[in-house]
Amino acid sequence: MLTTIVFLPLAGALLLLLIENRDGRRDAVVRWTALGASLLVFVATLLLWSRFDPTRADFQFVERHSWIPSFGVQYLVGVDGISLFLLVLTGFLTPLALLCSWESVHKKVKEFAAFLLALESAMLGVFVSLDLFLFYIFWDAMLVPMYFLIGIWGYDRRIYAAVKFILYTATGSVLMLLAIIGLAWMHNSITGAGYSFDLLKLYDLRIPPKFEFWFFLAFTLAFAIKVPLFPFHTWLPDAHVEAPTAGSVLLAGVLLKMGTYGLVRFAFPLFPSAAAFFAPALAVLAIVGIIYGALVAMVQPDMKKLVAYSSVSHLGFVVLGICALNVQGLQGSIYQMLNHGISTGGLFLIVGMLSDRRHTRQIEAFGGLKAVTPRLVAAFLLITLASIGLPGTNGFVGEFLILLGTFRADPRLAAFAATGVILSAVYMLWMFQRVNYGPIVHDENRALPDLTRRERWVIVPAVALAIFMGVFPGVFLKPMEPSVERLLQRVNRGSVARTVQAPSFDHAATTGHGVTPTDARVKY
Amino acid sequence: MSLSSITAIVPILCVTAAGIAAMLAEAFREPGERMPISGLGLIGLVGAAISAGLLWGRNASGFGLVSADMFGLFFVMILIVIGVMTMLLSPPLVEREGLPGGEYYALTLFALAGMMLMAMATDLLVIFLALEVMSLAVYVLTALRRNTEASVEGAFKYFILGGFSSAFFLYGLAFVYGLTHTTRLDRIGSALAGASAAHPTLGLLALGLLLVGFGFKVSAVPFHMWTPDAYEGAPTIVAGFMSTGVKAAAFAALVRVLTTAFPSMHAVWYPVIWGMAAVTMILGTVVGVAQTNLKRMLAYSSIAHAGYLLVGLAASNDTGRGAILFYLFAYGVTNLAAFGLIGLLATHDRPNDDLASMAGLSNRHPALAAVFSVLLLSLGGIPPTAGFVGKWYIFSAAIRSGDYGLAIIGVLTSVVSIFFYLRVIVMMYMAEPGDAPSSPEPPRGAVFTLAAALVITFYLGILPTRILDLAAQSIGGLF
Repeated sequence: MLTTIVFLPLAGALLLLLIENRDGRRDAVVRWTALGASLLVFVATLLLWSRFDPTRADFQFVERHSWIPSFGVQYLVGVDGISLFLLVLTGFLTPLALLCSWESVHKKVKEFAAFLLALESAMLGVFVSLDLFLFYIFWDAMLVPMYFLIGIWGYDRRIYAAVKFILYTATGSVLMLLAIIGLAWMHNSITGAGYSFDLLKLYDLRIPPKFEFWFFLAFTLAFAIKVPLFPFHTWLPDAHVEAPTAGSVLLAGVLLKMGTYGLVRFAFPLFPSAAAFFAPALAVLAIVGIIYGALVAMVQPDMKKLVAYSSVSHLGFVVLGICALNVQGLQGSIYQMLNHGISTGGLFLIVGMLSDRRHTRQIEAFGGLKAVTPRLVAAFLLITLASIGLPGTNGFVGEFLILLGTFRADPRLAAFAATGVILSAVYMLWMFQRVNYGPIVHDENRALPDLTRRERWVIVPAVALAIFMGVFPGVFLKPMEPSVERLLQRVNRGSVARTVQAPSFDHAATTGHGVTPTDARVKY
Repeated sequence: MSLSSITAIVPILCVTAAGIAAMLAEAFREPGERMPISGLGLIGLVGAAISAGLLWGRNASGFGLVSADMFGLFFVMILIVIGVMTMLLSPPLVEREGLPGGEYYALTLFALAGMMLMAMATDLLVIFLALEVMSLAVYVLTALRRNTEASVEGAFKYFILGGFSSAFFLYGLAFVYGLTHTTRLDRIGSALAGASAAHPTLGLLALGLLLVGFGFKVSAVPFHMWTPDAYEGAPTIVAGFMSTGVKAAAFAALVRVLTTAFPSMHAVWYPVIWGMAAVTMILGTVVGVAQTNLKRMLAYSSIAHAGYLLVGLAASNDTGRGAILFYLFAYGVTNLAAFGLIGLLATHDRPNDDLASMAGLSNRHPALAAVFSVLLLSLGGIPPTAGFVGKWYIFSAAIRSGDYGLAIIGVLTSVVSIFFYLRVIVMMYMAEPGDAPSSPEPPRGAVFTLAAALVITFYLGILPTRILDLAAQSIGGLF
């Protein structure tokens, strides 16, 4: 099942390459084939969800095959409550990415769609790999299609952005590679059972503290660059701004989550005591990122850049929730990963639509769109509100849980993080106001077309999902819960020495949002 | 002298016979007659492959000087693959660059014979002999475009410096003989285990001089100066042949000498190899970034790759030696294919080997551009390609032996190297097409070779088990 899901897009990409498409004569065939393949993948991920047993904490749909026996490398994939929805998210966003580039990509359509599908395969592979070697293959292989997507179909400074993207991420990941090898070797020297990259075996490994320290740093550096955590974020605005809309959507929607997913799946549970030691520092960096990202976003004249910096801020929340090391924080983080994928993906879609119409992304080039394109503005508004985290949208649930979890860990951090919530409202609404309200100052804007039918198909699912996730969070949070708790048990076995212990059960209870002090679970 | 002594060298004999046949064919060729001389080479190489396959696992030894153990045969196989690829890629390139066909094929085959002998030799004198057979042929091959200045300059540099290094090697050999009264590697090993304590200075001198000779052949820093000039000046396919074949043969002999003859002096050569590996990796990649000529760029990249191979040697464990075997196979296929591809882009009047001439290649030759991208990404070590598995194997060895410093330098320099490989991809896919004339469609043999190289690159990257096991097995016989 999982193997099919992971390699289905790649098969689609290979199929595309077989289509003879000289001078773009069969672009339509290519587009529909690619869309069909990606929809098939989405249906497959939904099927996976429907068959997923939400009461179990361990990995499901596990497939295990020997691959390179002399090095203990296996083909080992599986899914649990944490990765399940990231798979669904990937399946959901890829068709949207293909659809949104329907009319904006004209050159080398076949290659474009093939790279997009190859990228999807690699992303799905990252989320299901339970063997570190396999994980690394997908993790690194993912760079190549993204590099081409930015470099060939991007905007003016695309080459600079593409090279910067690949060099930044590769630097982080090669050090992780060394840590992975070191870990496999450590498995041999501690247990005597040979090399192993098997995540489940490595979870139980007691690593000497000195090595744990370095391994954690190597893993976390790779993930922090990908997230991106302040101060490793400088590649992100360039990559986002220069990437074509489809690239931005997947970059923001899925790729950044690979960083936070990596923290949750690998760095924290593999090296629990180092994680407990470094969590406060990471939390501080996350807070700096939240506030810094928000402040920089506020002054951006370019909408795409604004959304890019807002990602830095939002991903800061996700890391903060992880560092809280409790159920609420972690669940909120995972939920926020999904939210950010949908709302920021949606924002990039909207910005892409506006820039398709006006061929500029400068905020000052717009104004008064409300009267011209009411439907587009309505979608824009809903996505903006979701991004801010208005109650009733998905963003609220995630941010609330994260703040709750952080408060339990350290109220001071929560106080700082809360300013980020306010700031996000400021920069998003200010941008929204300048683009959509006021008088129409530019004559070009008077006759802008409203949403086309294709664009409705792109944006309506995103908006609907944002609201659905805001109203019925339990649908998503329930299946996560067992896995999250299992994960926390693993992490906490090493964090006995943790000084900041949840001091404020009572506060959490009195907020009246359904948190009981006894089991500290969120009820719905 | 028994029959088994002869069987051990049958692969070499096959290639030598093919070389002689190539010479004769050229000598008896009517002026203007076209003759598929590369076919003769292929026949010889196929014969060598069959005989090497039959020898596999038998540990035949010849005259006490040559050993067809699995270690040697693995290298012979690598060299045969390199040879076959060279033969298949050569015809169009020889024609376009106007090289003298007979000489070219004969010298390539003789060089191959020398390389094979070097990989199998277990006696320092035979290693020297093989080294000279190989080197002399390659010197001439480098100078084959004798009417171009770059070719003459490169060949001259290569020859002069190569002569020096051979002298160093021979001098080292003399010291070894003086110290141990033998040139056989295993006897040197046992003699040195006792004697080096008595004459530490002599041992040091011998080892140092030999390392200089080897360092030159594998183009390790600081003995790398000739590499970029020679590669740039040499005909493209010869550069590819040199960068893979010579390196593989020299590494085969180096590994054998250090592990068989000098294990007792590990404490001495380990820091030297360590330092050479570090400097070679750093210099190869950092200077590679500044290159605008593709052949020079690949020359520096091949220097960097020598550095990675030295990491495997410095690790001095079975993982490291196995990694060298696997890495050389992966590197040999991809690097030779990359050079061959550059050669195919050349036209009669323009070499088209500048970075700028790659602009817009993806529009002119989409298939070539795609293949070149895969080869470059493999050289950069991006999964799922052969290069990634090779690097992973090398760094595994380094970590296992506790050489964390080398491993960290290695991965960081490989990121830097990705930068210059990417520059080529940027030109091919993202730059506006320049005025480079469309080069002729590559002939079928070359296309087949490139396709095969592509398949091998992915095969080694995705299902490396078979070759990894073979490499590990080959190491078993070495002591």
